[in-house]
Amino acid sequence: MLDAYPTITLLSLLTYPALHLGKKDYMDLAIHTEKLARVYKLRGSKKEEAKELVALRDINLDVRRGELFGLLGPNGAGKTTLIKILTTLLAPSSGVARVAGYDVAAEPEKVRPRINMVSGGESSGYGLLTVRENLWMFAQFYGIPSKLANERIKQLLEIVRMSDRMNTKSSDLSTGLRQKMNIVRGFLTDPEVLFLDEPTLGLDVEASMDVRNFVRGWMEGNRDRTLLLTTHYMVEADELCDRVAIINGGQVLACDTPANLKRQLQRDVIYRMEVSPLNGLQPEALEALGGVRKVSHEPKDGAAVLELILAEDDALGSVVNTLTGKDIHILNLQKREPSLEDVFVNLVGHSMKEAESGADGSSS
Amino acid sequence: MALTDRVPKNSGWRLFLQTVVGRAYPRIIGLLRELSWFFFEVFLPVLSVAAYVFIYRAIGAPDVYIGFVVMGGAMTAFWLNILWSMSSQMYWEKQTGNLALYIMAPNSLMAILLGMAFGGLFSTGLRALVITLVGTLLFDVSFEVSNYLLLFAVFMLTMVALYGLGMMTASLFLLLNREAWHYANLAQEPVYLASGFYFPIKSLDFWIAAGASFIPLTLGMDAMRQLSFSGGTELGFLPVQTELAILAGLCVVFLIGARWLLGYMERLAVREGRLTESRR
Amino acid sequence: MQATQDIRKPVKERGVSGRTFRAAAWLGWQIESNWADPLIFFIYSVIKPLSGAAILVVMYSVITNGNFDDPMFAYIYLGNAFYIYVAAVLTGVSWTVIDDREIYRMLKYIYIAPVHVPVYLLGRGFAKFAFGSLAVFITIAAGVYFLDVPLDLSLVNWPLFAVSLTLGIVMLAMMGLVLGSVMLLIVNNANFMGEAVAGALYLFSGAVFPLSILPAWLQPVGYIIPISYWLELLRRSVVGQVAESFPTFSQFSDMQLLGILAGLTALFTVLGFVVFRYCDHQAREKGYLDRYSNF
Repeated sequence: MLDAYPTITLLSLLTYPALHLGKKDYMDLAIHTEKLARVYKLRGSKKEEAKELVALRDINLDVRRGELFGLLGPNGAGKTTLIKILTTLLAPSSGVARVAGYDVAAEPEKVRPRINMVSGGESSGYGLLTVRENLWMFAQFYGIPSKLANERIKQLLEIVRMSDRMNTKSSDLSTGLRQKMNIVRGFLTDPEVLFLDEPTLGLDVEASMDVRNFVRGWMEGNRDRTLLLTTHYMVEADELCDRVAIINGGQVLACDTPANLKRQLQRDVIYRMEVSPLNGLQPEALEALGGVRKVSHEPKDGAAVLELILAEDDALGSVVNTLTGKDIHILNLQKREPSLEDVFVNLVGHSMKEAESGADGSSS
Repeated sequence: MALTDRVPKNSGWRLFLQTVVGRAYPRIIGLLRELSWFFFEVFLPVLSVAAYVFIYRAIGAPDVYIGFVVMGGAMTAFWLNILWSMSSQMYWEKQTGNLALYIMAPNSLMAILLGMAFGGLFSTGLRALVITLVGTLLFDVSFEVSNYLLLFAVFMLTMVALYGLGMMTASLFLLLNREAWHYANLAQEPVYLASGFYFPIKSLDFWIAAGASFIPLTLGMDAMRQLSFSGGTELGFLPVQTELAILAGLCVVFLIGARWLLGYMERLAVREGRLTESRR
Repeated sequence: MQATQDIRKPVKERGVSGRTFRAAAWLGWQIESNWADPLIFFIYSVIKPLSGAAILVVMYSVITNGNFDDPMFAYIYLGNAFYIYVAAVLTGVSWTVIDDREIYRMLKYIYIAPVHVPVYLLGRGFAKFAFGSLAVFITIAAGVYFLDVPLDLSLVNWPLFAVSLTLGIVMLAMMGLVLGSVMLLIVNNANFMGEAVAGALYLFSGAVFPLSILPAWLQPVGYIIPISYWLELLRRSVVGQVAESFPTFSQFSDMQLLGILAGLTALFTVLGFVVFRYCDHQAREKGYLDRYSNF
């Protein structure tokens, strides 16, 4: 049924008539959400009326079993709120969410044996326990027999190159190693659906690569397991995910394979242009030029980097003319293939970094 | 077994039991691993107990009161364990991120709390025992136990009811944030007063003592004092049998209450998004 | 441009301590008080000390059949009331290390800021001192009003009281600094160290019974603790007739006691900064400043 999705008309996915799914279809999906919304009431002082923050609105998503699905969006986009709902930690304000075929709000006790979650930057467990003991304790909470749990702990620690730290107290671990232990905790319980919420947050390049390799290997060895990964690293999503949903402002803007998402921009021409300071020129002025679809801008080392999505090559001329007219020098110019970042810019109108700096700073 | 093979998992009572053992483990192992507890949780409290002993000596109290203070001092360990390692523990688990993992796991939160309770009971029991032994030796307390079996029954019922109360309050603390620490702090001295940790509860007004009896240590300590010391019966609040019956009632109420309240609070916390918020 | 130049100016060392203390005291005040409505917070602030006092009142009353006219009662009651300061200041200063390292995880940022860390710790303890003062006042007022504690304001030796109180608070703050410094090196199980130490010193400081009640071999401990002298001075200044009934320190005049207290305060001041320096060095060496135990 899902294979019948049109590959390019992304928005059709968002309005997919999920209401027509039967019980069996739900069971075939690892994750299914339908008009899912969450509104937070922000508590202020007693005199002030409670404000409302819409963290998610009308989220319709289907993730097939065996899929490595990415949720891509800036901080505050609603990714973590969605994960909290799917992992039964937060009730939706409206709509339905199903994981492994079960309603997360009505049947959390059926969802929980089938899932696990790892969040980046968290420090689970107890400092006085060793790495092995912490992991063993969590294995007990999932009913894994002790002997088997210890075997798996050993195997998994070997994979993440932490065997030598098995008997180290977790309070003595570095941030990166704690995060690796955390990741092992997620895989240890062999969940049907695993949620990885920014798993490489705070990890160095090498550790991040270890994690990505491990995730890839785990998915290849377990074709019936599903993994939902949230990240704001475009490369991570591009490299790992079978399909990606781009989320911003609590809404899913697009959902497809990375290749298909980028194919949208195939007819467009993308340039990365490093220029001298913009001298007050607003990027919007460039967007007003004929043939220029989107422009994002980021200051860099006293200069500026412009990412240009152009409908055709010829539009570059008018951009160059406008810049030189403002006495702005072009320092570097690169034509390149579209990335997920460009897809994001195309959908949202600005880059992920700009979206994050424009957000109110509250994490969802 | 290969890493990619499906992992067999227990459910039902086996999972419940595994969870209890799993959560009790850190508390028990902590006792062996961090021996500093002997200084912080035995030596320093013994000095506090000694201060109350010398107050009684300064005002010429009969010896039985010295025994009362030593017992009260030892039982303080249990009340502190309830406040700081059961009730407000939930707030701390929320801060560290463990609470979300406990809730999300297939185990019952009741099993987690039971694990905390068993672990706490074991480690605190050991502390209380050492405080009692040291206090008894230092201050030459003489026990005259009239009925060991009854004393054991009272102690066990007190503990079950007390940790039942702890589990119940723990569920209330699911919703709390920074204020949790202050509420737990607030429940120290007023409870020492109302439950008669350092004097026979009979000394208080009947209705105050009756009101304080919902805290299991009030009647538990009173009954244990009656059973342990010569002259303890005259200073008792209610007959031991009555206190035993009330304690049994409290066990039922608190354990059922804990189960119900835990479910209710968990649903409420999930609805309001308060399981994962961190408001230090 | 002017603003940029101002920012780049090195922070004047002379103003650092004052600025640090003010900011820390403000922060401590917020942390202590802003979790509840003022009314709830007020009740919270007084109910604990009043309950602590009530325990002693009941203990005393049970044994003496409510003979509150005996000077022993005033001794116990006032000693306990002023002892509130000990727990408040010791805990206030020393707890900051645990609070900032384990709970707020701010200690590392405080360290890298241009502040004077020992002064910061003292400043953070100021809020507890302020709330402790309220508790002391209310406890004494309740004793005078309800239990006829013989406190006559016209008979109070105010200058002696003011000097003793001030010296004592400085002394307690410095003891708190010693304790806080030690906490820099303890990354577990130190949560209640301030209260536990205050509880232990309760025994040796003659707060609620004269030192002569202690076994002879324990009494010397009481004589080397500055709190014992401080409490005696407060008793003498506030209820001279009660102090006279217990001759533990009768061999010392007021001035001699003040001299001893001042000397011990100076000693603890030096000790506080020396111990801080040592523990600070050790904590850096062992990498404890940004470590949280997750216990």
